[in-house]
This record gives sequence, C-alpha cells and structure tokens, in this order.
Amino acid sequence: MASQGLTYDGCNFFRQRLVLATLSGKRVKIKGVRSREDNPGLRDFEASFIRLLDKVTNGSRIEINQTGTVLFYQPGLLYGGSVEHDCNPQRSIGYYLEALLMLAPFMKTSLKATLRGVTNDPTDPTVDLLKSTAVPLMKQFGIDGEGFDIKVVKRGMAPGGGGEVIFTCPVRRSIKPVQLTDPGKIKRIRGVAYSVRVSPQMANRIVDSARSILNQFLPDIYIYTDHMKGANSGKSPGFGLTLVAETLNGCFLSAEMSSTPQGQGDPVLPEDLGRNCAKLLLEEVYRGGCVDSSNQSLALLLMTLGQQDVSKVLLGPLSPYTIEFLRHIRDFFQIMFKIEVQKPLEDERKGGDKVLMTCLGVGYSNINKSIK
Amino acid sequence: SEESESEGEAGRARDSGHCSEEEEEEGSDDEEEEDDEEDESMEEEGSAADGVVKSEEEEEQGALRWKEGLQQKASEAFLRQQEAAPNLRKLVYGSVVEADDSEEEEEELGGLFRVSRPQKSKKFQANARDCSRFNPDSSHNWDLEEMLNSIRDCFVTGKWEEGQDAA
Repeated sequence: MASQGLTYDGCNFFRQRLVLATLSGKRVKIKGVRSREDNPGLRDFEASFIRLLDKVTNGSRIEINQTGTVLFYQPGLLYGGSVEHDCNPQRSIGYYLEALLMLAPFMKTSLKATLRGVTNDPTDPTVDLLKSTAVPLMKQFGIDGEGFDIKVVKRGMAPGGGGEVIFTCPVRRSIKPVQLTDPGKIKRIRGVAYSVRVSPQMANRIVDSARSILNQFLPDIYIYTDHMKGANSGKSPGFGLTLVAETLNGCFLSAEMSSTPQGQGDPVLPEDLGRNCAKLLLEEVYRGGCVDSSNQSLALLLMTLGQQDVSKVLLGPLSPYTIEFLRHIRDFFQIMFKIEVQKPLEDERKGGDKVLMTCLGVGYSNINKSIK
Repeated sequence: SEESESEGEAGRARDSGHCSEEEEEEGSDDEEEEDDEEDESMEEEGSAADGVVKSEEEEEQGALRWKEGLQQKASEAFLRQQEAAPNLRKLVYGSVVEADDSEEEEEELGGLFRVSRPQKSKKFQANARDCSRFNPDSSHNWDLEEMLNSIRDCFVTGKWEEGQDAA
C-alpha cells in the first residue's frame, strides 16, 4: 500500500482522483478501467486529460498498461506557465477546465492555458458557466488580481468543436478561509444566449421564452445574445443558454442548457430550451446555498486547502459527484467535514433543505510558487 | 466488524422509527373513531374498523375516505422523509463497500445460465461517466404555482425578515 499509494477501481471520478493526487503529492493507481466492456481501457478524452496534466506539471510519471485498464500516476511539481492543448472533442473544454481551475492557483508560475476543442455541449459545464460562477467563487477565497479570466475566443459546439478558450490564473501562496453562511436574496439574473452557424434570431427566441418565466420573480433580468460568425463559429451548428442569478452577498447560482449536438438525437426548439433552462435555474434556486451544484467540489477543495482556520460554507443538497469528492478528500488529505442539515422554517419560502459544511483547513501552502 | 455493526444499528433504528410512525397514525385513527361513535368500546375497534366503515358508508363516505390506505400513506411519507433527511455524515463517510457488495447477486436460469446484469453491479458504477452535473429532482414541476411560491422569498421581491431591509 505504502509503495503504491492509493488504489481505486474504475474510471469514474477520474479527474478528481488525479487532481487530488497532484495537490497532495500522493501516488495513485487506478485499475479495472472498463475492464468488462467490449472496448476496454481508457478513452481518448481521458488520455487527452492525462496529457494536459503532464503539460502543467514537471516530472510526473504516468504508466499505463497495454490494454489501458490500469493507470499508475506519480505526480510531479505543478509548473504552470504557458500551455496549449487540443482537448479531445469527446468531452467539452469544461471537462478539462474544471480540473485546471482546481490546480491553477497552486502552480509555480501563473498559468496561461489555451484550450482548443468543444466549448459547449450538454454534458459538462460549459466555459460560459465556469466563467460566470467558478471565477467569482475563487475570488472569495482570495484568488484574484489582474489576469484572472476565462475568455472565449472562438465558440465550437459539439460534436465538431473548433472553439478556443484562454484561461489565465494568478498563483497564490495560501488560500483564505471563508465564512459563506448566508447567500442573501437574489437581486438580478444575467445570462448569455449564444448561437453559432444558425440564424441569429435563435438567440432572441431563447431570450424571450426564458424571460417569460423569470419575470414572475424579478424585473432585473438581462440576457445577452452572443452570435459568433465566420472563423470564430467553430465547426458545428448549435445554440444554448447560460443563466446566472446573483445574490446581494455576491453568491452566484447558475443553470444552463445546450442544443442537442448535430446528428445525436432529436433537435430542440429554442423556445423550449429557453423555458427549460429557466426552470433549471428555479431548481437551482430551490436547492440554494452560497455555491451552486456545479461548483460544490471546487468550494470544498479550497476550504480543505485553506489556512489552519475554520471555513464554513452553506450548500444546497450534495450532488453524488460531491459526495464522492468528499470521500476522496478524506483519502488524500485526511480531512472530514462537519455536515449539518438546515431545515427551512415552517413559513419560509426559500426552497429545500440546506447543508452547512464546516472544516479546518490543512494549512496548505504552495511550495511551488517562486519568490520574487 | 465495527462497520457492519453500525450498519446493523442503522437498520434497527430505521425499523423502530417505522413502527412508531405507524403507531402514531393508528393512534390518530382511533381517536377519530371514538369521536364518531361514543358507545363503541376500545377493544373492539381494531377488528371493527371495517364494520364501522360499512355501516356508516352512506353518511360519512367523504369523511372516511382519507382513512383508506393509511398505513401505506404513512410508510410512503416516512420513506420520503428518510430520503430527504438522511444522516448525511453516515451517507458520505459510512462504509460504501459493504452496501455495494450486498447488491451483487446473480440469478440463475435452469441451473445452467447466469443472468448478467452489468448495469446494476458495482463495477458498472465504478466505470460510469465522470461528470459533475447534478440532475434536477424530477418530482419538481415548475409549472405549478405551488412550486413557484416555495422559492418566492429567495428574491429581493419576496418577503424580508424582521430587522432586514431592502435599503
């Protein structure tokens, strides 16, 4: 056990295992990757993810057996710097970016990653969503300063891709502990309705239908339309919507929906997409908390890596992915969270149960960071 | 082992919880009947419940309808509550492996063939898609006014608590 580090079975939660291994410096072995399927072993997108990890680190050792069913990873130092990567279009850039967001503040030099591939697909959080929720969340933990940005240069819808995203992030020596226990009321809703290689009218139709639902709650709603043309529009047609609700205390709750990728099932009407996305946002408001469901694990990771002080964050119900992430945090950092369920009062109309997560940070300090 | 013991305890605790819930419901049932018919004795009640329903069917059909399937309703409500408010710490940090092992049973057909259900097995879970998205609760229908009202106060346009102000 000691020589092998941690061992896991199967390819689920692949990214969180490798990310936590990198941050904690522990070796990890993942075996039985799709070993019973007709097409066993790691997929192309996973291989692409490993290559990206190899690019941002220095001295990592990665061994994969011949069938690709066993992976051994010995993490190196997080190096950062300027990185370019062609993300495999089987998954969108969000898949890769979610992991990079967790690693970027702990690099030796600040990261500038140019990622090419699919910017928006229905499976993973899109780059637009991460830009409008993950970035402000990380700022709460003291990761800010100039050049902390996710920029969509070219949009590329699934399945063709052809998009380009530039992610820049400064490095930090340590992470600030936070007390996010009261989200406050929602003061405004913003959004982006995007369309590429279809009529620009699609975006307007999405906006109208989404507004028709959200205007029941708030007058302050603004949904931008973003229609990219020519070389910036990628290889496949499509459209979608990202909605973000901002609260008085600076918390962000988001929802999104993308059109069905070309040739992969029934097409959707922009009106339906707008309405369903608005309902998803209402669901997210019902879940509530200071961090929305797609960023729960990022918040919990930054709490874990904070200075040796108590951090508290109020979340909505824990997603299955987050529950597994908590187990992995225990494996890699020996940190267990205090989990308290907060039931809403009888006459309160503030959605469902909330979960208050409390932990003591491990006092992680970024030894990679160069001193200037 | 320690873990299996705690599992067992959880099981027992759940059972006893279930019983008390039912008893409560039955208790309220009894009271109701006492009000309806004062001369009916307590001992008879359990067996006579059906008789009561029949004899007064014409007058009280509406009033008694809520009693139908009370036990089932109670157990459903209980299960719903259990799902909504599990012991989260146990759910997150409790033993996962054992819970999964119990599910792995294979059906046999004619003592010769084994029915393979890879979708249910632990192996399948372990190789499911790595995705952070949290699918919405399908029982929530956001077309209903009731649902919309349940989140009204999350917005600045909703009701404010004492001592807080929009200003």
